[in-house]
Amino acid sequence: MNDLIGTWIAAFLTLCILSFLYKDNPFFRFAESLFAGVSLGYYIGLTMGNTMVPNLIDPLKQSFSEHWQLLFPMAIGLLLYARYIKKVSWLSKYALAAYIGYGSGYQLLMKLHGEALPQLKSSIVSLNHFDLALANDLVMLIGVLSVLVYFFFSKRDEAATLSTKVFNRVSLLGTWFLMVSFGAAFGYTVMGRISLLMGRLNFLINDWILKSFA
Amino acid sequence: MSKFLNRLFNVDQRFVYLFVAIGTALPLLFPLNLPISVTKPVKDVYDFIQKLEPGDSILLSYDYGPSTAPENDPMADAVLRHCFERKIKVVVIALYPLGGVTLAEQSLNRVAKEYPALKYGVDYVNLGYKDGVIAVMKAMGEDIHKVFPQDLGKKPISELPMMANIHNYSDLKLVVSLPTGIIGEYWAALINSQYGIPIALGSTAVSAPKYYAFLKSGQIIGLLGGVKSASEYEKLLIEGYPATKPAYEKVGTYNAMKGMDVQSVVHIIIIAFIVLGNLAYFTSRAAQKKGDLP
Repeated sequence: MNDLIGTWIAAFLTLCILSFLYKDNPFFRFAESLFAGVSLGYYIGLTMGNTMVPNLIDPLKQSFSEHWQLLFPMAIGLLLYARYIKKVSWLSKYALAAYIGYGSGYQLLMKLHGEALPQLKSSIVSLNHFDLALANDLVMLIGVLSVLVYFFFSKRDEAATLSTKVFNRVSLLGTWFLMVSFGAAFGYTVMGRISLLMGRLNFLINDWILKSFA
Repeated sequence: MSKFLNRLFNVDQRFVYLFVAIGTALPLLFPLNLPISVTKPVKDVYDFIQKLEPGDSILLSYDYGPSTAPENDPMADAVLRHCFERKIKVVVIALYPLGGVTLAEQSLNRVAKEYPALKYGVDYVNLGYKDGVIAVMKAMGEDIHKVFPQDLGKKPISELPMMANIHNYSDLKLVVSLPTGIIGEYWAALINSQYGIPIALGSTAVSAPKYYAFLKSGQIIGLLGGVKSASEYEKLLIEGYPATKPAYEKVGTYNAMKGMDVQSVVHIIIIAFIVLGNLAYFTSRAAQKKGDLP
């Protein structure tokens, strides 16, 4: 019975959201606001139940002397809320500084060691084989170089020198590569959006209409 | 003809929505069973799991929410079925805050029901959700037991027999992440680079293009991009393990192969509208030049 009520509520809210396709209306706005509120409540409850309680509150309760060091991250977390009290709002900056320092350190490592270097390495073409894979690698290499030229370099277009002509051609090639990549990304996006519609219509047809009425 | 095209040029966009809705609903009710061709990035993931030994362990991370479930759910179910067929142990976690843990629970319950011989705690575990994404991934490289002291049911994971031999990434053979957004990048760029553990991604279609760079650089062993790749994995699974076929033939259930029927029909509708729209545009432009239209 609970499942049935839940399904009917979900079906109603789905129809409320889909009604926006006809035109903006109060049902859509109600469902949108409800979703935003429920999502926030869910996130808070989830973080409390799955992170704060087992990783902070339970260990402190079980053995304070063993886990007292957990008070430091707890204090840093609480400092974030100091911004709501004007007199001590400056304290939240320390917590933010810790977050930003931690985040920057990781991002730096990830972007350099995890993205830039391995992907630079994979762009280097080995010429010791002549097959379709080499052709593929060369297309990749030309794509990388021409897009870099398009994004990072500029040249005054006054004198029609050979170097300017070559530069413009390479830059134009870069835009073509970009257009192809945008096209591929757009194709994938269309597929993704249709999948979402499919999920909702599948719910309405199979889980709601057929199970409730058939 | 030109009048029809001119009328089409000004058609209410809600007619387009109606056509797309009909094109989506009909194949769901009456599947077409269109052929599916398997691509290399998907085959690579399948082959990697196929080569694992029974008793090996993998980590399956549900890094998506309900907003992309129609794409990621079929991938999760297919990978789980594949592992359970091969007697590979699965550690389930969720790093996406909005609904990842619930979807993980639903998916695990759905698939585990088909394998009554497998036991929770021995063949698979669900450690639930933990907030912090990068911090969680990094800490799991040191000690999973410290990051997840309890499983989803609040049972200490030290009491789960399967977890006795699993303490960090070196005890796992593969990480399969099903990411929406950026979480897959963290697995590939941070965890693969730092710990060397093979990573397979099953991303949403929207995110798939950026992950091809990681595939090319060898930071991920394979890629499932959107519902198309999920259908390919389902096809490989049914061919390799015919016992899984009934799960995909149940009436009233959704899977990626049915989803591809919808994708094909709706794409034809969209392409038809694009072609007709362009024809209408060029016809009206030509008419304007002639002076037939204002």
